[in-house]
Amino acid sequence: MSAARGTAGRAVGHGTGRTEPAGPGVSVAGLVSAAARGDESAWVELVRRYTPLVYAVIRSYDLGGADAADVNQTVWLRLVEHLDQVREPQALAAWLAVTTRRECYRMSRLGRRVQPVDPSDASLDAYHGTRADTTPPDEDLLRAERRQALREGFAQLPQRCQQLLALLTADPPLTYRETADRLGVPVGSIGPTQARCLRRLRDCPALAPYRGLDRAAPTNGGEHHGAVAAGR
Amino acid sequence: MEPWPPADDDRLTAELVEALWEDGGVPEEYVTAARAAFAWRTVGAELALAELTFDSACDKELVGLTRSSGSERTLAFRAGPVLMEIEVSTDGIVGQLSPSGGGRVSARTASGTYDEAPVDAVGLFSLGVPPPGPIQLCAQVGGYAVATDWVSLR
Repeated sequence: MSAARGTAGRAVGHGTGRTEPAGPGVSVAGLVSAAARGDESAWVELVRRYTPLVYAVIRSYDLGGADAADVNQTVWLRLVEHLDQVREPQALAAWLAVTTRRECYRMSRLGRRVQPVDPSDASLDAYHGTRADTTPPDEDLLRAERRQALREGFAQLPQRCQQLLALLTADPPLTYRETADRLGVPVGSIGPTQARCLRRLRDCPALAPYRGLDRAAPTNGGEHHGAVAAGR
Repeated sequence: MEPWPPADDDRLTAELVEALWEDGGVPEEYVTAARAAFAWRTVGAELALAELTFDSACDKELVGLTRSSGSERTLAFRAGPVLMEIEVSTDGIVGQLSPSGGGRVSARTASGTYDEAPVDAVGLFSLGVPPPGPIQLCAQVGGYAVATDWVSLR
């Protein structure tokens, strides 16, 4: 995790203010069409952006380790074959959420491969996650969907805002002074620009379905929040 | 009972850090499998995608769908005029393609082809027991070439 953060941090910090060709600033539409043309780096970025959402949906179902991994693999193999048919790349998160849900349901209906689990087996955490005991899956799913919305909102921001926010959130984050030098702007403008960019992010269409949804809202098996992503 | 997105700039920035740079605790093998899926990009101008239209494991029974009594599971795929129906049992897969007229069908997992077989004059074919995990069937029949949606068969 930290390695990925470090890499991404360096990628946005190359002085020219340019982002990576398939970095977090590229829109979903751009990534989908590039991947459909065979650009593997675009695919890797799609995977980076959307595996947390797919994983969160899978975790909201009570599937065994092998079944859960099969659903994940099935969903991504499906997407590969559907890349040309994703008519509205903006709706990719919804497509992934719906497809993952459907495959989890299929798997649960098959109800096979019940595996004896050794509780002392360390791999158990890998399948169920370390937060499994304390955090309800619904809440995990909502958090994953919100993060997904933030990634999409970020991709919709003007390039200037993307550069600034990427520098200020990199690991380690750049100071206002370093950021100002990197972007070639007065240091006094950084704070106000950051506030303006965050405001734009809050008002972004990608966040609209989640605006005002609070985590204490009644849930029924995750379908309520899942329907937010699925219904877009 | 807090509104989202957070009105506080620092809290929104903290969430943005998580969203942009953290992986959400996804196990590495999930990411590896997702990346590797790209190698199976086969559908294109020459190969049409046959979408999964029915699965007896989770869909209501279709009226008029032919199935033999002993089958455990029935699935149907369609790509334009090409229809593929398969029955999966402990003995393996038997299927029928239309239009008929001979051809070949192959079955693969994400690690490679596990079986292939001829399609007879009336479109029937049979394949061995599928391994666990997602399977894709590819068929050439009556001038069409299709690949099915990936789906776990057992």
